[in-house]
Amino acid sequence: MPKHTLPQSKRTPLAADIIGGAASVLKGLWVTLITFFRPKVTERYPFRDAERNYKPRPGYRGDFALITDRETGNLRCTACMSCAKVCPDKCIHIVAEGKGKERKPAEFYIDVGLCMFCWLCVEACPFDALTMTPDYEQAVDDPRKLVRDIEVLRTRGLEYEDVLRVQTAGVAEDGPAQTDAGEPTQ
Amino acid sequence: MSDTYAGQTDELLINMGPQHPSTHGVLRVLLRLDGEIVLDADPDIGYLHSSLEKIGEAKTWQQFVPYTDRFDYLSAINNEFAFVRAVEKLLGVRVTERCEYIRVIMAELQRIASHLMYFTSMGLDTGAVTVYLHCFRDRERLIDLFEDATGQRLLYHYLRIGGVRNDLPHDFVARVRDFIDYFPARLQEYDNLLTRNRVFRGRMEGIATISREEAVRHGMSGPCLRACGVDHDLRKIIGYSVYPQFEFEVPVYDTCDAMARHLVRCDEMVQSLRILKQATDKLPDGETNVKVPRVIKPEPGAVYERIEGPRGEVGCYLISDGSDKPLRMRWRPPSYFNLQPLPQLMRGGYVADTVVAIASLDIMLGDIDK
Amino acid sequence: MLLRDTFNAIRQWTEGLFTGWGMPDDWAFLTTEILVWIVGVVCAIAVMMVAALVLVYLERKVAGYIQSRLGPMRVGPIGLFQTAMDAVKLLVKEDIVPQGADKVLHTVGPALFFTVSLMAWLVVPWDDGVVIGRVVDQNIGVLYLMGVSGMTVIAILMGGWGSNNKWSLIGAVRAGAQMLSYEIPMLLALLCVVLAAESLSLGDIVGAQRGGSLLSWNIFKPWMWLPALLFIIAMFAEIARQPFDLPEAESELVGGYHTEYSGMKFALFFLAEYANILLISIVVTVMFLGGWLSPLGPIDSVIPGVLWLFAKAGLLVFFVLWVRWTLPRMRPDQMMSLSWKLLVPAGFLALAITTVAVMLGA
Repeated sequence: MPKHTLPQSKRTPLAADIIGGAASVLKGLWVTLITFFRPKVTERYPFRDAERNYKPRPGYRGDFALITDRETGNLRCTACMSCAKVCPDKCIHIVAEGKGKERKPAEFYIDVGLCMFCWLCVEACPFDALTMTPDYEQAVDDPRKLVRDIEVLRTRGLEYEDVLRVQTAGVAEDGPAQTDAGEPTQ
Repeated sequence: MSDTYAGQTDELLINMGPQHPSTHGVLRVLLRLDGEIVLDADPDIGYLHSSLEKIGEAKTWQQFVPYTDRFDYLSAINNEFAFVRAVEKLLGVRVTERCEYIRVIMAELQRIASHLMYFTSMGLDTGAVTVYLHCFRDRERLIDLFEDATGQRLLYHYLRIGGVRNDLPHDFVARVRDFIDYFPARLQEYDNLLTRNRVFRGRMEGIATISREEAVRHGMSGPCLRACGVDHDLRKIIGYSVYPQFEFEVPVYDTCDAMARHLVRCDEMVQSLRILKQATDKLPDGETNVKVPRVIKPEPGAVYERIEGPRGEVGCYLISDGSDKPLRMRWRPPSYFNLQPLPQLMRGGYVADTVVAIASLDIMLGDIDK
Repeated sequence: MLLRDTFNAIRQWTEGLFTGWGMPDDWAFLTTEILVWIVGVVCAIAVMMVAALVLVYLERKVAGYIQSRLGPMRVGPIGLFQTAMDAVKLLVKEDIVPQGADKVLHTVGPALFFTVSLMAWLVVPWDDGVVIGRVVDQNIGVLYLMGVSGMTVIAILMGGWGSNNKWSLIGAVRAGAQMLSYEIPMLLALLCVVLAAESLSLGDIVGAQRGGSLLSWNIFKPWMWLPALLFIIAMFAEIARQPFDLPEAESELVGGYHTEYSGMKFALFFLAEYANILLISIVVTVMFLGGWLSPLGPIDSVIPGVLWLFAKAGLLVFFVLWVRWTLPRMRPDQMMSLSWKLLVPAGFLALAITTVAVMLGA
């Protein structure tokens, strides 16, 4: 590991300075030359997508999804408003319908343009209904399209059905639950 | 402005505007030049002000943690560290050993990433563009580590009140060890490419000096202070978290110029690797989080918690009035105090030295403007 | 030899044509000379354009490879059409003249820069006797080259002053100081070569390096090492490349003298800058590396000399690009003190050494 002593260029005699300077320049040139011949680190996204999996691990905080319960075929969400209340940016808007056990969301909007991807809403949900998927390709050409509605969220949930939701602890009163963040993708 | 007559030159008032390739964010510096010599410099800040401190009074304690990332966004973990420790102090919560180790590992990885970013900007500002890309190639490895552990690449929201968001992935420690093996050769390369280069040394040695007394008087901290001969590192002085269990040195140089600051940061990266090695070797098993109520209402009181970030002392002053939101959240940004002596650093130097001065302070406008 | 013979054959044929039409001999000679100039200028512009295109692409690729990345890959196979598309983009861009800018200077600056670069190509010897401006080269080749490269300073100052931008002005003034300072070591190094070749003509300088083998090139003669080193350092300063790229110091002055330019005017600056790199590499090749002489000696009469010229110049171009992406930038005062305090005395020393060597009959 390099250990530095301060170079004394002000008090160096001229000849030593010239030779030392030239040597340092040559050393730098050598570094760039060997980097020239080393493998390149550019990822040819998205053209080599078939060969390389560009999806991050489950647990990556990408775009949102509402999870559909496998048995009933309905969304797990009961419109309890926990996520909307906990969101620091107030970007979740829910309209509920039905009462008691039949309560479900009629409208569910998340404005991804406001969202700061902090994961608090996912943690707050007591029913594991909301999650964030490894989908990071969210670019749109119109800011209004950044508001995800319930259908978009449901479709994405079905697409990412096998994503494990990482549960965090220290927030709910009923103790920590540790889950692995998922298998490596590479 | 003086009147011109034959033989006398005018002063030039020039604006190194908020949009500039080298001001590290949106900093505006008004320069008064006599030819190429800087007579006076007047920094102007506030272009990135987002009233984060006011937002802190409107959010609950847990809701504010993601906002702390956004202060110094290149060293997000350290910001969270300060805030989370402050709240835990208010609550009287002690986190587990494993959590402390994980926090230290993340903080040191973040320190290396932040210093690599400093190398990038220093190289760019002096003209060595290649250093930028080499550093980003290495920083990418660190960012990938963060992505797998925390779920995000830059603004993590990983440290929580009472613990961390999730336990480390099962291959994390092995990858950190790979990085520790891979990185020293890269540091040697950066040494050869930039630090020991004669042209670079000519740009940095003796430039942007500030005396030790001035540095202390202005409240500078971090590498800027340690380059003035003051052995002041909060990891050793306070010994917060589990830092006292690790053996590492604090690099101190005493020439007070830009080169000394540069060398301090180079050596700090080496020492961070040392801490990482010891931390990954000694990482204890166990729980990472402790039970913390869902709605946090600390006892009324005030606390000031400070930690050593890559840029200096990061401080968080919290006043609680017993409710679920802070009464006052005050952030002590290291870059703000490091920026104060900028006129002294620039005065008497050349225009080309202004960028070196700003780059060597390693300021972060998100921190300064909050 | 092929190029030379073809060139001479065409000249003679044209002269014969004019004489056959009844023109007096000297008029025929003059008319042929003018025709050669016109055709030559068109060829030179073509070479400049192609050189700039190729060089910009090479620079981006070399930069990429040095930086562990791939460089342009999308536009055309491995990005070969990148520069062409960039040129098209620059042509269709809006031409913005800043408010308060001196319109005449703003327009003439890039045009002059380009013209001056073009003028310097007229004395480049492509092959034995194949020179566009033969009359100029035979008498004052090196002097013409130095004079013309001095005029780039005026063009840059025009560009900087005419932009109504203080940063551009600083860049232009720095450029002026830099180019003037480094003219002197360059001239002293060139004088050494001229002394050894006993002629100001570039064609004769190459001819003086003709010997039995590779070793008769100037670079292999020990008393030429110091002039070669001086010239290469001064070369970086004259083409304003790192470590001397203060005029366009990107991180300090955003763009220096060409900050306020867009569209065609910027294209002129841009292309002429890259053509300059090739030009000065060719000049170094001519002075020190034997120009169009083949390293295999006189046995090689198959490969035209012009290809050897480009091959050697190409190596030097790679060296220029390599250095650009490695070294940081020097500060103006350091650059000036390097020139005046180190290189100029070294130049005089080189001149003295060469004089002694020449007198001793080398």
